[in-house]
Amino acid sequence: MGQQTTKNTTGHVWDDDLQELTNPLPRWWLWTFYLTVIFSVIYWIMYPAWPIGKSYTKGVEGVNTIKYTARTVDGKEVQKETHWNMRSKLMAETNEAEARQKQWFDKVAATPYEDVAKDAELMQFVNSAGKTLFSDNCAPCHMSGGQGKVTFSPNLTDDSWIFGGTYEKIHQTLTGGRTGFMPPFKDMLKEEQITQLANYVLSLSGEKVDTAAAAAGAELFKNPGVGCFVCHGPDAKGNQDMGSANLTDKIWLWANVPAQQDAAGKVEEVKKVITGGLSRGVMPAWGGRLKPEQIKLLTVYVHDSLGGGK
Amino acid sequence: MATTNVVTNEQYNYDIVRKFTIMTLVWGAVGMLVGVYIASELAFPFLNLDTPYITFGRLRPVHTGAVIFGFGGSALFATSYYVVQRTCQARLFGDGLANFTFWGWQAIIVLAALGHVMGYSQGREYAEMAWPVDVLIAVVWVAYAAVFIGTIMKRKQPHIYVANWFYLAFILATALLHIFNNLAIPYSLTGSYSLFSGAQDAMTQWWYGHNAVGFFLTAAFLGMMYYFVPKQAGRPVYSYRLSIIHFWALIFLYMWAGSHHLHWTAIPDWTSTLAATFSIMLLLPSWGGMINGIMTLSGAWEKLRTDPIMRFLIVSLSFYGMSTFEGPMMSLKDVNALSHYTDWTVGHVHSGALGWVAMITFGAMYHLVPRLWNTQIHNPKLINVHFWLATIGILLYIVAMWISGIMQGLMWRAFDDFGNLQYSFVETVAAMFPFYVMRALGGAFFLTGMVIMCYNMFRTIRKGNANVAASIATAAA
Repeated sequence: MGQQTTKNTTGHVWDDDLQELTNPLPRWWLWTFYLTVIFSVIYWIMYPAWPIGKSYTKGVEGVNTIKYTARTVDGKEVQKETHWNMRSKLMAETNEAEARQKQWFDKVAATPYEDVAKDAELMQFVNSAGKTLFSDNCAPCHMSGGQGKVTFSPNLTDDSWIFGGTYEKIHQTLTGGRTGFMPPFKDMLKEEQITQLANYVLSLSGEKVDTAAAAAGAELFKNPGVGCFVCHGPDAKGNQDMGSANLTDKIWLWANVPAQQDAAGKVEEVKKVITGGLSRGVMPAWGGRLKPEQIKLLTVYVHDSLGGGK
Repeated sequence: MATTNVVTNEQYNYDIVRKFTIMTLVWGAVGMLVGVYIASELAFPFLNLDTPYITFGRLRPVHTGAVIFGFGGSALFATSYYVVQRTCQARLFGDGLANFTFWGWQAIIVLAALGHVMGYSQGREYAEMAWPVDVLIAVVWVAYAAVFIGTIMKRKQPHIYVANWFYLAFILATALLHIFNNLAIPYSLTGSYSLFSGAQDAMTQWWYGHNAVGFFLTAAFLGMMYYFVPKQAGRPVYSYRLSIIHFWALIFLYMWAGSHHLHWTAIPDWTSTLAATFSIMLLLPSWGGMINGIMTLSGAWEKLRTDPIMRFLIVSLSFYGMSTFEGPMMSLKDVNALSHYTDWTVGHVHSGALGWVAMITFGAMYHLVPRLWNTQIHNPKLINVHFWLATIGILLYIVAMWISGIMQGLMWRAFDDFGNLQYSFVETVAAMFPFYVMRALGGAFFLTGMVIMCYNMFRTIRKGNANVAASIATAAA
C-alpha cells in the first residue's frame, strides 16, 4: 500500500493506507431517519411524553382516554377516566378479565357444592380456573397433578383423607390450614418395643412381618401407658377430626415404606416415625391470601376434579 | 509491513497490546465456558450439584463480567492502544500508566468473579461488583483515559481518525455511567446502599445498563470496526460524512433510551414514551456504522470468499444491523409487553454479544496477532472452522431464544373463554425445556470455536516468539 491518495477521498491518510471517501449520505438512510423523527413527534403529541416543570405533556385529549373501575380502600367502586397511562391500561384490562370471570365465580358462589359438579358448563369453568389456581398455589407441595410426594405432602387424588375429604372439611383445610403432629416415643419406649410396634403397624396393611414381634406390638398399641390407640383408634383406622392417620391401608405419607425392598427396611422406616414423632406436616392457611370465591372453587376442584372422599 | 516491524516495535508500545490480546483470548474462553455451564444448569438444574458457589444466580454475573469486561474490555484496551498509536503515529503515552491499566483491569475481573462466587452482589445488572471493586474500576478508568487522551494529544497526524472518536466517546461515557450508577454509602467492606431509591434507582441502573450496551458494546466496537474493516479490506472508509453524522447522532440519542428496559413498571409514563421514541430514532444512526463498514468492501466483495477474517468482520456487521433493528422494535411499548421478562430479551442480547461484539473481536484478533508477533497465522484453515462453528452457534442460540421467548410471552398472556389465565407459570417453564437444551448446544458450538481460536493463536504466538528469539540470536552473532 502506497502513500498516494485515491480519488474522491478527504485527502487524509492514516497508518499508511487508511482513507475516507467523500460519498454523500445514502438518501434512503437519511429519509428513513427523518421518518423515525416524524414518527416520534406524532407519538409525543398523542401520548404522555415531555416533562414540563412538575407535570408533563399528557397527549391529545380524547384520542387516548382510558376508562376503568377502581376500588377504594373501603371497597367502594369508583369510575375513573384518564389520559393514556400504563397503570390505567392495566386496570382497564384487569376489569375486563374480571368481568368475564365474575358471572362464573358468582354462579359458583351461589350454587351448593353438590350441584356444581352436576352442572357440566360450570365444572368446565371450575377446571379452567382451578387448574391455574392449583398450579400457582398448591402444586409446589402437592405436585402439579395433586399426586403429592411421600415423606412431604399427601396425595389429593386418592380417597384417603387425613383431615377429611368432604366439601366442608376440604374448605376448612384450605381456609385455616392444618398442622399434623405425633409425639416422639424414643424416651418412653425401648428400641425393642418400637420394633415390635413397627411390625404390628406394618402387619395391619398386610406386609410380611415378624409375627411374634407384631403380636407384642399389638399389645403395646392397646396399652393405655403407651396410648397409640388414643389417637389412631382401637381399630388403628385413624381419626379425621384430629388428623391421625389410618394405619390399616397401604397409603403412606411420612414413612417411605413403598420405596423399601425388604421387610427390614420397611420396619426401619416406620420406626423412624415412632421414634422421632412428627411435626413437619404443616399446610398453610389460604384464608387471607385467596378470595373466598377462589377458595370455594378450589374446594370443588380438589373434591371433584382431583378426587375427594366419596 | 513485516519488513518495517523492527522499526515499529520501537516506535510503538506493542507490549501492552500483546498482554491485553492474550487476556482477551483467556477471558473469552473462561467467560463462554461459564456461559455454557449456566445455560446447561437452566436446562438440567441438577448441575447445581447443590453447591451454592456454582448456582445460576452466582455464576451468571461471573459469566457476564468475564465476557463483557474480561473478553470485551481486554479486546477494547488492546485494540484502542494499537489503533490510537498507529493512527496518531505516536508511541503510547505513559508506559507505566498503561501497565497499571493492564494489571488493574485484570485484578478487577478476578476480584469481581471471586466476589460473585462468594455471594457478594450489589444487585445491579452488569454492575454487581461490591464498592471497593467499583473504586478500583474508577481509578483504572481514569488512568486509561489519561493514556488514551495523552496519546492523542501528542499525535503527529493533524486529524484524529474516526476510530479514535468512537474510542474516546466510549471512555468518557463509561466513566460517567460507572461513577453515577455506583454512587453508594458503604456499610461494610463488601456492602453498600445506593444513593438513589425506588424508581429513580431503577432508572439510574438502566441508564447505566443501556448505555453500557451503547457505549461499551456498541460505540467502542464501532471504533474497532472503523480501523480493522478498512485495514483488512485495503479499501477507504465508504463515507466520511456518514461517519460524522452517525457518530454524533448515536452518542446523542443513546443516552435517552435506557428507560425502555423499564416499560410497564412503576416509572412515569413520559419517561417510557421518550425512551421508546429515542430508541426508534436510534435505528438509523446505529445502521450508519453498518453501512459504512459493509460499503467499505464495495468493489472488493470477492474477499468474502477468499478471506476468512473479512468474513468475520462483515458477518459481525450483519448481526449488528439485525440486533440494532430488533432493539428499537422491542422498545415499542406494545412489542415490549410481549417480550419483556422473556427469553427473547436474552436472545436479543446474545445476537448483539455473540454476533456483533464477539465476531468483530475475533476478526480484529486474527488481524492483530500475526502483526503483533511478526509472524503468520499458524493454521488459516482453522479460522474458517472457527467462523462456521461460531455462526452455527449463534443461529442455534438466537432461534431457540426467539421461539422460547415469544412462546413464553404468549403463554403468560393467554386467557381462555372464561377470562381465566390459560397456563400456570410452571407450565411455561416446562415448555421452555427443549429450547434451553438447544441454547446450551448453540453456546457449546460457539465455545468450541473459541477454544479452536485459542489453540490457533497459541501456536501462532509461539511461532512468533521463536522467530523473535532467532532474530535476536542472529543479530547477536
